[in-house]
Amino acid sequence: MGRQQLIKGISSVNLGTAFRRNVNYLRQPHIIMTLFLLIIVTMLIIIPVITMFYSTFIWQTEDIRLSREANPGSFTFFHWKRVFSSILTNTILWIPLKNTIIVGIGVSFFALLIGIFMAWLVARTDIPYKKLISAVAVIPYMVPSYIHALSWLTLFKNDRVGGVTGVFQSLTGISPPNWISYGVFPIIVTLSLHYYPYAYLLVSAALKSIDSRLEESGEILGATRGYVLRRITLPLVMPAIFSSFILTFSRTIGIFSTPYFLGSPVRFFTIPVQIYSSIINRNSATGFILSFVLIGISSFIIFLNQRAVGERKSFATIGGKGFTITLTPVGKSKSIILPIVFFIIFISVVLPLLLLTVETVSLYPGSYSLQNLTSHFWIGRGGTSFAEGEAGLLRNLAILKSAWNSVRLAVTASILAGFLGIFIGYAVVKGRRERLPKVLDQISFLPYLVPSIAFSALYLALFIKRIGPIPALYGTFILLVMINAAKELPFSSRAGISSMLQIGGELEEAGEIAGAGWGTRFRKIIFPLSVRSSVAGFILVFITVMRELALIILLVTPGTRTLTTMTFRYQEQGYVQFSSAISLLLVMIIFLGSFLANRITKTSEIE
Amino acid sequence: MKKNITVLCLTLIFLAAFYAGAVGQELSSETEAWLKDVKLGAYAEDTFDEEALYEAAKKEGEVNIYSYSSRVHKFGETFEQKYPGIKVNGYDMDSGDIVTKVSAEQTAGNYVADVIFLKDVAVVYNVLVAKGLAHNYVPADLKDTIPEQYQEPMLVHHTSIQGFVYNTVKNVQAPFVSLWDLTKPEWKGKVIMPDPMKLPEFVEIYTAIVEHADEMAEEYEKVFQERITLSPGVENAGYEWLYRILNNDAIVLGSTNDISNAVGLSDQDNPPVGLTAFSRVRDIESNPNLKFAFAENLNPVEGFELEVVQLAVNKAPHPNAAKLLLRYMLGDEKGGEGYEPYYVEGNFSVRVDVPPVEGMKLITEIPSWSASPDYVWLEGQKVLDFWNINLVQ
Repeated sequence: MGRQQLIKGISSVNLGTAFRRNVNYLRQPHIIMTLFLLIIVTMLIIIPVITMFYSTFIWQTEDIRLSREANPGSFTFFHWKRVFSSILTNTILWIPLKNTIIVGIGVSFFALLIGIFMAWLVARTDIPYKKLISAVAVIPYMVPSYIHALSWLTLFKNDRVGGVTGVFQSLTGISPPNWISYGVFPIIVTLSLHYYPYAYLLVSAALKSIDSRLEESGEILGATRGYVLRRITLPLVMPAIFSSFILTFSRTIGIFSTPYFLGSPVRFFTIPVQIYSSIINRNSATGFILSFVLIGISSFIIFLNQRAVGERKSFATIGGKGFTITLTPVGKSKSIILPIVFFIIFISVVLPLLLLTVETVSLYPGSYSLQNLTSHFWIGRGGTSFAEGEAGLLRNLAILKSAWNSVRLAVTASILAGFLGIFIGYAVVKGRRERLPKVLDQISFLPYLVPSIAFSALYLALFIKRIGPIPALYGTFILLVMINAAKELPFSSRAGISSMLQIGGELEEAGEIAGAGWGTRFRKIIFPLSVRSSVAGFILVFITVMRELALIILLVTPGTRTLTTMTFRYQEQGYVQFSSAISLLLVMIIFLGSFLANRITKTSEIE
Repeated sequence: MKKNITVLCLTLIFLAAFYAGAVGQELSSETEAWLKDVKLGAYAEDTFDEEALYEAAKKEGEVNIYSYSSRVHKFGETFEQKYPGIKVNGYDMDSGDIVTKVSAEQTAGNYVADVIFLKDVAVVYNVLVAKGLAHNYVPADLKDTIPEQYQEPMLVHHTSIQGFVYNTVKNVQAPFVSLWDLTKPEWKGKVIMPDPMKLPEFVEIYTAIVEHADEMAEEYEKVFQERITLSPGVENAGYEWLYRILNNDAIVLGSTNDISNAVGLSDQDNPPVGLTAFSRVRDIESNPNLKFAFAENLNPVEGFELEVVQLAVNKAPHPNAAKLLLRYMLGDEKGGEGYEPYYVEGNFSVRVDVPPVEGMKLITEIPSWSASPDYVWLEGQKVLDFWNINLVQ
């Protein structure tokens, strides 16, 4: 660059224009929204996470148990050394990390395969029983994940750990090898069957909003089916596929219960097991650092995703023109496809629920004879010598009251998270090439990676006292709603982003030309259009909150118990029938809730 | 833009430091004044006046208790019947969660809990009691009925025994006589151990074994007729036992219920043995398919003793109701309604006048070990790390 030009360049930087440019930048609606949302996520997410990071550098009171040099309150690298370079490193970091990544990749692959396949069938083919398939395909996620793990054991347990062996062994007399009964194989199978609804929900929403004429025009121009799929359909659903991958992968690497149930008998441990153990053994700094390892992995994946989605052009598919979907006839392959679909549904939905139901009507657990049937755990009267005098579930006031608490919490939290998700979706998509919205996107995904048990401990420490204008929220219902909405923000923001990505800019522009202000445009155009695909997000949040235990257990004060805390109680007393019945009640409430959510949004839908 | 973000981050780190900073307090004069006011700690009454306490408690109207056990709802209910006008808000969660919650409440001055009822004595003492965040309360009328060792520094509600159980369909008596037998090849993959990562109370038990390393070494000589050779990096015979058990392909499970079921289900060819809570024996009554018994006469020890303690929380909002409840939980000479939910096989009342459950021995007749709280506090994490290193392969 020549000297002349340089001087010219400098002199043209007029402070006034720079200022005006900045103000104009900040006055854009999506930027205002971004700033507002940034304040909210700072409170809900950033401060807790920074507190978490900070505390890993501080000697904690109980570190005196780990090192005689501990000086509570002062600065130290001790915890980082413990995780990354000590005799424990292999045990708590490398081996579990390897296992975690294997499980994460395996589950993501199979869950996406099943989910995308089902989504395509339902959205794009003329396969029969479509209503049934689409209703049932989301159920695996409504069932708490440990139910799939326990069902696996009921079926394939061998005699390694003692007790009753699985159905397979009692029928065939053959003891399944350890790798079938426990460890990485069953973990990947059961979690894939549990998590494929993510991909199903997001991809089918995306497919439903693609105008078939886009594909047809390709065919008219002489493209083969494969070419159309590769060059037209796939790129259009790619954002949804990426989102599903991120959700599935990150969720899988953070899950505790299934890997614990199926892995610990053969000493297969993942990072969440080490995190859980560190925190319940009051060694939280170690648990926090391991949480940051998980955060690191997922951040890397999100970074890759942003490179992939951010670089390509935006594909708006919900446009101002007409809209048709042409269904691909499945024809003869129906006879192959249908059995596969029904098999998936059977093993992921029917079988686990059936086994669970049998459990609730068993007089004694683990025995499957007719004499062993009872209805006590559902409708029995209390005060008898049986089951420590507890009344059956439907007569049990304590259980019914906690069911109400669960519902109240889940509905409020999912609505809050759902709305935040739509706003975040709008801000992020409108500002796809700008920094602030990108930051917002990344932050809103963070809580997904912070283990519930850690998140809960942080919220307890932060919100138990007054912070500036915010009063002490400890013991209030609001705090429970806040932590759940924050923890589930990743779901709802993903759903919000996927749906916004498909709304064409011309719709909003048309409103603008017609003289509608930004508020009106958002309320009348953007919001109604996005609600449809965001319903998936609402429902996911509702389901997750219904099942949440670790996240809220430190924050509830006596009286606000939820259904999940009740299962814990009965399991301790050895009444698995009660805890199974409560799990089933949970599933039924979730089912009903999702059904209602779908119905309500259908009526306001814009076709 | 970048600069702004840096500034933002720095501000937030300061904020975080501020939140994290307010930890750790001495027994303040304020606490002393409160203790004096509600007659707790050094200022406790010399006599237990139930009437007066009830009158005072009625004005408070309720009491909040955090309990490690769900049976809080049982004695809570009978308490409400006996003392109308006082509502018991019982909440059950893990002992560790109780400590976390109470520490946080105390730090913030947001006092909710009145009574805590929990395990893990080493942590409870060092984190709560030693810092004056919870206070011991021994009702005056029980001072002579409870041995002194159970009164200070924390009043023990009951003790419980954990030990090995075996399947009684396949065995007439325990199929092994020494803890060291379980490290032999014939027990490979046939011993179930509770997971201390999931059940922190077993850290206490494994630590007790390490603390009694000399007895373990002696017993080794009796079983193998030779002096023990420690594996590389292993400190003593207690750790060596843990090392060998884990290397003998022990199965690790995360709930005492799962362990007793795995051992006790009647229809199995080659049942394992397992370490679990003695009180699981009560499951046999409610499930006829379970057939197992507690292994007696083991060497060098038969069982491991754990204590459950009850405390009044500092600045409890309902101190009189708290005292009344703490007294009620200890029952009477026949057991009593307050103690009833815990009057089961495997548990032992600390009261000398309460006989053991029918068919049970006295706790003094069961050879058992317990780790001293100080030792658990200082050595427990090391034991857990040792376990973890040898478990994960």
